[in-house]
Amino acid sequence: MKLAKPLACALTIGCLLVLITFTPAVFAAVQDPSASAPGRVMARQATKENQLWITADHTKHEALKKTFTTGAEITKACLSCHSEAKAQFEKTIHWQWMVPGTESDKKIGKAGYSLNNFCISTNKTKDNSCLACHPGWGTATEAINCLVCHGRETINWDEAFEDMQYFMGESDEESREMAADLQSQIQSAVQAVGRPTRKNCGSCHFYGGGGDGVKHGDLDSSLTKPNKDLDVHMGSDGQNFDCVRCHTTQLHNIAGRMYTAPAYTERKSLIEDDLASKITCESCHSATPHEAGHKANDHTDKVACQSCHIPTVARVNPTKMSWDWSEAGRKKDGKPYKTKDEFGKYDYMSIKGQMKWAKNIQPEYFWFNGSIASRTTRDEIDPAGVVAVSQPVGGQSDPQSRIFPFKIHRGVQPYDKVHKTLLAPLLSGDDGYWKTLDWDRALSKGQEALGLPFSGQFDFVETTYVFPLTHMVAPKATVVTCKECHAREDGRLAELAGFYMPGRDQWRFMDAMGWVLVIGSLLGVVLHGLGRVFTNGRKEG
Amino acid sequence: MKKWLMFALALTISISFVGAAFAIDKGNKRKGKYIYRKVYKACHERGEVDSAKPPINPDAKTQAEWTTVFSGKTFDEFGCADEWSQLSDEDLSNIYAYLHDHAADSPTPLKCK
Repeated sequence: MKLAKPLACALTIGCLLVLITFTPAVFAAVQDPSASAPGRVMARQATKENQLWITADHTKHEALKKTFTTGAEITKACLSCHSEAKAQFEKTIHWQWMVPGTESDKKIGKAGYSLNNFCISTNKTKDNSCLACHPGWGTATEAINCLVCHGRETINWDEAFEDMQYFMGESDEESREMAADLQSQIQSAVQAVGRPTRKNCGSCHFYGGGGDGVKHGDLDSSLTKPNKDLDVHMGSDGQNFDCVRCHTTQLHNIAGRMYTAPAYTERKSLIEDDLASKITCESCHSATPHEAGHKANDHTDKVACQSCHIPTVARVNPTKMSWDWSEAGRKKDGKPYKTKDEFGKYDYMSIKGQMKWAKNIQPEYFWFNGSIASRTTRDEIDPAGVVAVSQPVGGQSDPQSRIFPFKIHRGVQPYDKVHKTLLAPLLSGDDGYWKTLDWDRALSKGQEALGLPFSGQFDFVETTYVFPLTHMVAPKATVVTCKECHAREDGRLAELAGFYMPGRDQWRFMDAMGWVLVIGSLLGVVLHGLGRVFTNGRKEG
Repeated sequence: MKKWLMFALALTISISFVGAAFAIDKGNKRKGKYIYRKVYKACHERGEVDSAKPPINPDAKTQAEWTTVFSGKTFDEFGCADEWSQLSDEDLSNIYAYLHDHAADSPTPLKCK
């Protein structure tokens, strides 16, 4: 009976502990709390009425029923109704390939002095092979091909027009039938227009750099018809978003380009501004998207949503991770050759050099305020080290910066040993490297196209190029876990120095003091308890 | 000796005739491209294939390989057997011209875009 009171107390406390421990688990089994997380509820509200409708049936427009023999005639037909589209579109970066808002003499952009470390440069668009992605007709840059972005049907326009005109010039019945059929196909494609789909945007953005998945890692043809596992927003078995659902448009300017200027300057929800220039994660999910009390809500000021919700990229198709131009030019039996890797991708081509492809890429992480600093063909480099052709801007002390995931493409590319600048070889055409395998000639012609000097002395330098990752958002079951970053060794953020992160960083003095406190407290409790037991015993006695 | 010469001559003539019997004429390559694509458009509409794009590009084989395929009329690897069986000899010679003239070892190798 002497110990009955303490025993009863201990039992009561034990029962309470059991209740506290298991009650949330029972409720969780009934209802997933994250399903009603504010970020998810808000996003559902923002997107539930996404039923698009249009007021025009283009198959009924007389202007689109005529016989078309050139692309320019189609453009003229579009502009006969959409009278302002040409003026608007010709001012955009999609047409000009020059970055708007930068000083005009800097000429930053594909059509200027910018370069990269995969296919290097368009040589101010003198390299015709690059123009396959310019939204004109073929390699011509006079008339806009509205159907690149707005067409629903895939057609090889150059061939269709050329073949049709050939058959029209023939006298046999079969040729006339073929000409009529081709014209019917052209008319059908002209009349099948609408808002840009994933396929329209992807026809260039999935194949940039010379092939499927070469550039980005989070953009490739697998996003044409993705499922939710690949992208929770674009998955055709889920929200089925088109690109323009987030990449909003004003006067044909598509929002979301993350280079010289930030893709967006304000982090606000659609409730604050439903005409925001770019819809971001926070626009729909808010700045505290997880359920109340969830630790992840405390991260959103310093960690971008993408860092946790895009655990890997290139999950379906491989992406190119490196490109060594210095290995180009080798021959077998006196002839150029190519070899394929385990993915069926070319890992060596005499005309391109050594390349490495990979799947399920874990991103690399940097502080990022939304801007990227890039070198151009006019900027001096230090060839002694690795040259960052592009790099994220930001830092831990910058309030606009957050930790953001990137794919890094590593390259080895030519530079001028005298002028200490990166060089832009001409690749396609009769003088291009792909035909001649002659670096001197390709570099001379490429630099000449840019109006820049070439000393004639060149070597190769290691370079890096960054791609911010924001697509291929994974389902919550596969997001990055706490321990993947808060790890003592080999964590995802192991390379990100300059700040203290619990679980990753260690201050031995602080750790020792902590243990002294823990052990001291424990000893105090035990001694106090023993003291009470023995004191009570003596009193009773 | 004369006997051997006569035999060699007879053999050469026989081989030439047999070869000629299996040889395929090259038709109109532009018509060939049109017909080749139409085969897969029809096959796609019928639901046998997922894409209307021809599965085998002209540059997938050398000129000699295309000649072997069309001389032997062995089109199994092309799929869409119903459509291929309905093609006339003229259609086949047109398709042959298109594929042969844009083969991997031709001056202008091509892919179907």
